[in-house]
Amino acid sequence: MARRRSFGDISYGIVIGGLALLALVIIVTPVVVVLLMSFGEGQSLKFPPTGFTFRWYAELFDASQSRQIHRAAGNSLEVAALSTLFGAVLGAMGALGLARSRSRMARAADSFFLSPLVLPGIAFGLAALMYFTLVGLRPSLGLIIAGHMIVTVPFIVRTTAASLSQLDPALNDSSQSLGASWFYTLRRVTLPLIAPGIAAGAFLAFMSSIDNVPVSLFLSTARTDMLPIRMWGMMESSLDVRIAAISGVLIAAAFLLMLFMEWTVGLTRRMRE
Amino acid sequence: MKTALALRMKGAGYLGEWQLALPLTLAFASLFLAPLLLLFGVSFFNDDKLTEPGLAQWGKFFGDPFNYKVIADTLLLGVKTVAATVLVGYPLALVFIDLSARLQRVLLFVIVMPLLLSVVVRTFAWIVVLGHEGLINTLLLRLGLIGEPLKLLQTELGLVISLTQIEMPLMLLPLISVMSRLEPNLRDAAAALGASRWRTLFTVIVPLSMPGLVAGCLLVFASSTTAFISQTVIGGVRLIYLPLVIWQQSLVVFNWPLAAVASMALLVSILTVVAALSYLGRRASGAIHG
Amino acid sequence: MFTRRRVLAGATALGGAALLPTIAAAKGGLTAAIYPGTWEDAYRAIVIPALKKTYDVDLELQPLFAVDEVAKAKAARGAPPFDCFVLDPGPRITAIEAGLFEKFDGKKLSNASKVPSAFIDEWGICVGAQVVGIAYNPKKLPAPKGWKDLLTDPWVSRLGITGFQTTFGTVSLIEIAKQFGGSETNIDPALVELKKVLPKIAAVGQPAAMPGLFQQGQCDVMYTNTQTVATLKGKGVDIEFVKPESGAVAFYTTLHIAKGSDAIDNAYKYFDTVVSTPVQEALTKPPYNFLPANKDVPIPPDLPMKSLDEMSTYVLHDWAKINPLRAGWIEKFNKEMAK
Repeated sequence: MARRRSFGDISYGIVIGGLALLALVIIVTPVVVVLLMSFGEGQSLKFPPTGFTFRWYAELFDASQSRQIHRAAGNSLEVAALSTLFGAVLGAMGALGLARSRSRMARAADSFFLSPLVLPGIAFGLAALMYFTLVGLRPSLGLIIAGHMIVTVPFIVRTTAASLSQLDPALNDSSQSLGASWFYTLRRVTLPLIAPGIAAGAFLAFMSSIDNVPVSLFLSTARTDMLPIRMWGMMESSLDVRIAAISGVLIAAAFLLMLFMEWTVGLTRRMRE
Repeated sequence: MKTALALRMKGAGYLGEWQLALPLTLAFASLFLAPLLLLFGVSFFNDDKLTEPGLAQWGKFFGDPFNYKVIADTLLLGVKTVAATVLVGYPLALVFIDLSARLQRVLLFVIVMPLLLSVVVRTFAWIVVLGHEGLINTLLLRLGLIGEPLKLLQTELGLVISLTQIEMPLMLLPLISVMSRLEPNLRDAAAALGASRWRTLFTVIVPLSMPGLVAGCLLVFASSTTAFISQTVIGGVRLIYLPLVIWQQSLVVFNWPLAAVASMALLVSILTVVAALSYLGRRASGAIHG
Repeated sequence: MFTRRRVLAGATALGGAALLPTIAAAKGGLTAAIYPGTWEDAYRAIVIPALKKTYDVDLELQPLFAVDEVAKAKAARGAPPFDCFVLDPGPRITAIEAGLFEKFDGKKLSNASKVPSAFIDEWGICVGAQVVGIAYNPKKLPAPKGWKDLLTDPWVSRLGITGFQTTFGTVSLIEIAKQFGGSETNIDPALVELKKVLPKIAAVGQPAAMPGLFQQGQCDVMYTNTQTVATLKGKGVDIEFVKPESGAVAFYTTLHIAKGSDAIDNAYKYFDTVVSTPVQEALTKPPYNFLPANKDVPIPPDLPMKSLDEMSTYVLHDWAKINPLRAGWIEKFNKEMAK
């Protein structure tokens, strides 16, 4: 009996460990490829890169050589931040509202809130531009934010809903039966428990807004140039190495963010001790 | 006791009051439903100048058996990607929940990395990895495992591998946010009762993580079936999926009615799968708390 | 107008200040679509300062491919998202049919006499030409002589092709069809021949992916335009251009004014600046390598033609005939090439 279990445990370790490792390899390989290319000395994106240089990063940060990229990056960040903010508030509220309802309406609404993810971006971008023009609005940063919010909020609704469905209903009920107000329960009991879900969705939404091509393509104007569209042009016309450097910058920023969180979390823990 | 609570829950006054969904519903109605209806309206014109109402484009799209193959291929691509993502992603999530908090943060950073690569460079990186003279082929040739380069780029296999990478965070983030809140005691209890780790996995962990798994599958399915850029750059244009057809009709030949019909076909077929999946998900989570 | 304004007011109240549209360009401003890459770089470096200096007009450029310009303008009917188009012949005809242009009067340009008369018509002005032929990697393959070679070894197993989505893809497939008895209205022979060698072909790709596929050795021969070859070569990619025996294909690039633009006068000033002698001369120099649209500008020796008159020795196509057939060709290509 004991021997059989240990064999099962070993096979479990090998299979699960092996598949997890494969997942890591699949995740990491393209990232490493891009990072290596961003330091290549060649004039165009190439693998394996020849030489090692910071030149492309220097050019990327140079205000005169990369002014258009900076402007587009600024627009993209602004759009991603605002659309994620609005999306997080509306999306979390929406998920809360539908969480326990088993009515047919709620189930329909559930699929409905996922549908922007399912409609191809080109079709939505085209339809959105036609519609906004029809009601008299012209493409602007505000419209891009609205469009991005719609196509990214499904991430937030879905991840929040997943967290919510795991909450023990008894928890809220006991809180309320103990006399806690509805809002107090939400703030002190529910929100802290579903926060990881909201955060995960918000992160997905933010990054997918930064990388959105079709909605931006249709709703942008000459003044609201967006980063991924600019990167497409750079890729198609000249295999510009700076597009690898842009990814390098994003990865470095995320890495710093992680270090910062590590530091603050460590700090709060130490202060508590 | 529990049934009594559940009964009370179904009445009014529970936390998830539906009014909370109103702002999102309003935003969706004005910013999504209205354009969608417009698109639906456009599909009922026979000509690309939108002057002659009719059902010609619907007839054209659904009268052509080729398009059924395209729809089937598109859905199948989603299924394959979901399967591949679950196969390698779920074990990674299992490994994740056993790590220390610090290592978890490092792994989380690794997991979200695909999202930090723009689709523009990401697809180029996959050309580098899968190509004729790419990393995999060079490696296998050097090891003497193959005589001549494998065809990976512009095949469905290569496409699924590359989609697995970008979809992995979509699977793992909801999965991890659900799994990391599972009671560790549960697993210990199962082990103490003599259940093998495999048994614990399939009888305890998988059912309890079902909401996260379903959410992940939904996101991966929806996003891989509409991933136009990856599909065309890595898969090539010999693999024809609906987003390519929609792109050709809307941006190359400007036949918007036909593009609208194709969009509706994609929307409805994916939503059908999604609705089935979320129904199963609800049943699974209902079985836990109900 | 009244109702639209009311809807607008309602929508603004609903959507809040963030949705407020940016109304009309500032005085002395102009927005123009431009192709991403070389075109945008060149126009930013040369045309924007020249226009500002000569006419005090601020030009904003928006990088867009031809088909995207037409799609945006069509969707935003009557409220053009930019004042000027830059287009290839196919999208140009689509746009004319859809009524997206203001009529153009060449006589309003002070530099009109310096431009070949065939370059100006009632819809716009030609400011450049693109030449399409074969590009190959000289380190891996001998130079092909013509279109027919592409379908035979050693080229065919290293060949990368694209479909009818782009202008360069369409004209190249027409030329291949012609080698096998087809014409500009009959591309079937090209598809028949391609299908015979399909398992050998290295890549059937998305046009945007071709430079990347070529650079990484997925394919070593493809059809493309001279500007792409010049840019990639300048970046150290092993690539050479070949003019096929049957002649390279040329097509014009034209500028147009968007219907409903509120900066028509500035648009004329922009066109006038683009075709002016100093601007055209600057555009012909590396790294831009444009073909000039101004008779006073000498053509530098490294460009594929000696003078603009040579344009007539290139293969030209009648896009009025091609355009209506293109939707059918795209469908056929999908079906014939599909796995």
